Amino acid sequence: MTAAHDLVVVGAGPAGAAAALAAADAGLDVLVVDEQRAAGGQIFRTTPPEFGGRRKLPTGYPWAGELLDRARSHPGIAWRHGATVFGILPVAVDAAAGADASAGPGSAGFDVLTSDPADPARSGRVRARRVLIASGAYDMPVAIPGWTLPGVMMAGAVQGFLKSQRLRVADRVVLAGSHPLLLIVADQLLAAGARIEEVAIARGLPSPVELLRALPAVPGHVRLLGELAGCVLRLLRAGVRISTGTVPTEVLGDGRVQGVRLARADRGWRQTGPARTVDADALVLGYGFHPSTELARQLGCGLDWDSAQGGWIVRHDAQLETTVAGVHVAGEPSGVAGAEQSRAEGELAGLTIAAALGRPVPERALAGARRRIRSASRFSGVVQRMFAPRREALLELATPATEICRCETVTRGTIDGFLDENPFAGTADAVKLACRSGMGPCQGRYCESAVAGLVAKARGTGVGQAGRFAAHIPVKPVPLQAYVALADDPPAL
Amino acid sequence: MSERYDSIVVGGGLLGAALAWMLAREGARVALLERDQLNQHASGQNAGSLHFQLEYRMVEHGWESARTAAEAMPLHLEAAREWAALGDELGESLGVAQQGGFMLAETAEQVEVLRRKTALEQEWGLDVRLLDGEEARRLAPYLSDSVLAAAFCPLEGKADTRIAGPALARGALRLGAEVRTRTEVVDLVPAGSGWAVHAVERSDAGERMLRLEADTVMLAAGVWTTRLGQLLDVSLPTIPLALMMSVSAPTAPFVPHLVQHAGTKLSLKQTGNGTVLIGGGWPARLPLAADGTPELDRRPTLLQSSLVGNAAAAIGVVPRTASLPIVRSWVGTTTVTPDQLPLVGQVPGRPGVFVATGGSAFTLGPSFARSLIALADGRPPGIDLHPYDPARFERLSHARR
Repeated sequence: MTAAHDLVVVGAGPAGAAAALAAADAGLDVLVVDEQRAAGGQIFRTTPPEFGGRRKLPTGYPWAGELLDRARSHPGIAWRHGATVFGILPVAVDAAAGADASAGPGSAGFDVLTSDPADPARSGRVRARRVLIASGAYDMPVAIPGWTLPGVMMAGAVQGFLKSQRLRVADRVVLAGSHPLLLIVADQLLAAGARIEEVAIARGLPSPVELLRALPAVPGHVRLLGELAGCVLRLLRAGVRISTGTVPTEVLGDGRVQGVRLARADRGWRQTGPARTVDADALVLGYGFHPSTELARQLGCGLDWDSAQGGWIVRHDAQLETTVAGVHVAGEPSGVAGAEQSRAEGELAGLTIAAALGRPVPERALAGARRRIRSASRFSGVVQRMFAPRREALLELATPATEICRCETVTRGTIDGFLDENPFAGTADAVKLACRSGMGPCQGRYCESAVAGLVAKARGTGVGQAGRFAAHIPVKPVPLQAYVALADDPPAL
Repeated sequence: MSERYDSIVVGGGLLGAALAWMLAREGARVALLERDQLNQHASGQNAGSLHFQLEYRMVEHGWESARTAAEAMPLHLEAAREWAALGDELGESLGVAQQGGFMLAETAEQVEVLRRKTALEQEWGLDVRLLDGEEARRLAPYLSDSVLAAAFCPLEGKADTRIAGPALARGALRLGAEVRTRTEVVDLVPAGSGWAVHAVERSDAGERMLRLEADTVMLAAGVWTTRLGQLLDVSLPTIPLALMMSVSAPTAPFVPHLVQHAGTKLSLKQTGNGTVLIGGGWPARLPLAADGTPELDRRPTLLQSSLVGNAAAAIGVVPRTASLPIVRSWVGTTTVTPDQLPLVGQVPGRPGVFVATGGSAFTLGPSFARSLIALADGRPPGIDLHPYDPARFERLSHARR
């Protein structure tokens, strides 16, 4: 086992890269662990070098190229790509020589447990004085009848295929959702040669009042809005039908997607009229994102429910430190707010950690990072308010036969039935233990919010009161032999 | 104004649910009070082994302690019968499968342990036999060549910890019992010929104080038993033991048996869902309060040494587990007593209050429940409960004073 790093950053997206750079500039020894082959996260995913050609980054973020290039070439930053962090454990105080036994967990640092899915023998652990969770977000799942058919995909995933492999997932596509990303993906699919059968937006057109309220948030984000407007223009020019106030009620098909049923919805996203069928071989859903909070949960950090910010978000102070001392958070796990804010949060977290570890950090730099967070949050706050998912209405798209937990094939009917028969059960975890919903390989990422929503509905409480699933090591599945590789001298098998 | 019951059960784990169901079946008016949700702690977190052979923890400390542990054999034999019939009586599956269990030896020394252990268990009437490595692999082709011998007990198996407790609670509910979750007992005081139970009922709207009265109170609170004893001013000593378990993603059935080891902490089995459960008593770290006492309401932390040790033990005897994707490793806190024997019986000096906990309380839960109800009715319990009498610690604490 090698010496401890000052800081281990989990995730190499805008937040992680900015944090690593700020911390390394201040003199820290930083390791970044990321699942992908190259830095950039989901937002700045690019094709692998084997594809040739120039790197293409989204035009809305002019700082991206320089941030990634500087971070990559910084001598104070080590990179571990292609590795999953499957758990973080505070080093036991009595096990660490010279540690202050009266201090809390984490005062002796952390062991970051990693696994390389392609080569489990490369699993191991690295020790860190501080850790930063910058693990991003994942597509918000929405369970509707037929959503488990091959051909139903999430907007972020579809874009991931386009960005990383130039792969068009289908030829005839319906997109349904509420998040602005949906329009960008539709435009990118169109450019890649797909036929866009329809884009169904759940909410209506923004009212003049909403637009007026949104105006003050725009300065500094003109490029981003310009990009979005360009998408809409190109889609309309290509004759794509963009319907507002429309939700998908069912996916049709035998073994694969063959059509999508769409229906009119009211302002609360509840179906009002009869559904019509649109032929398609793929449905792309884009209702927003859930922050990846599993490492924070596993560490015992406090979380709060905030639907508009993506659901469960990691509680943190103004310096982005979580409720577990020594564990920091930046980017989407602190509330889904986009790349601009993630980068600013990463910068502040990196500077704060450097200062906490005794490196000189000018107040000017901290103030600058705080200012950039404030500026970014004005924009992200408006986006969150305008596009907040109506979770109760989305939940009603699931019928009793709809699978809520696809890993363990648990239907809505099973969960509702359990809640009926067991009036004393009132939390998402109680349903998980009894029905197995959330116990499969995705560890509940896909069903947690729906399960909690069903509990909340049955008990007349809020989703926050229904609670969240506990997260355990490994936060992503690893083969049992990865555990053996954690030994200082792994025994021969 | 207080509500009146024949019996109040404190604790919503397997034992509490079994008590509520058995009491309700006898026509008693019952309330079960649980501070959290049902089945959330040791009952839902343990690996669900129905093991009747002496465990590694009982033989690792030498032969004297093994002999002492063997004295609990009648309780185990009773539990084996109890589990076999429980699902049918309840009319709902508890996920019980008794397809036999192995205890494995990989060294000559462990073979000797098995030989002596098997002879001792046979004396006490347990159906168990010693097999050599080849015989064991014929019954269990998944075992590695390193297995030199195995003790096989056909009665052993598993119950589904996820469903057993809640199924019994539903049974109680069908028979008219009340089940109240998020309801924490805060005081126990004599009232007339019985007891008044003061509890805090928590809801999203806030907290509400309850006062319930009953002729008998059954403490089925596992690791929280000692706290309840304090409310009664009686010493009911328990020791919390944080243990780790792991579970794989579902895979095609290949391990029908319970697998344990004579030389290391290991229990391994495959559930009806196809998941493989791996445990065996590897420790986790209990969070400690400033005064050094364990904090029971905070989750213990995993130890890397346990992750490594448990995985190596499993892969050593069942090599196929090496590549199984592990989905969760979790920690549960089980309860033992200072002398390793369970606490079962009337709370000393507190007529009408009964307690059971400590040591294999999942495996033995249905037997504990049956015995407590018999005691409360003034009937002789099916087994000799004398060694488990809670009064043994009361005497101890008086002697110290």
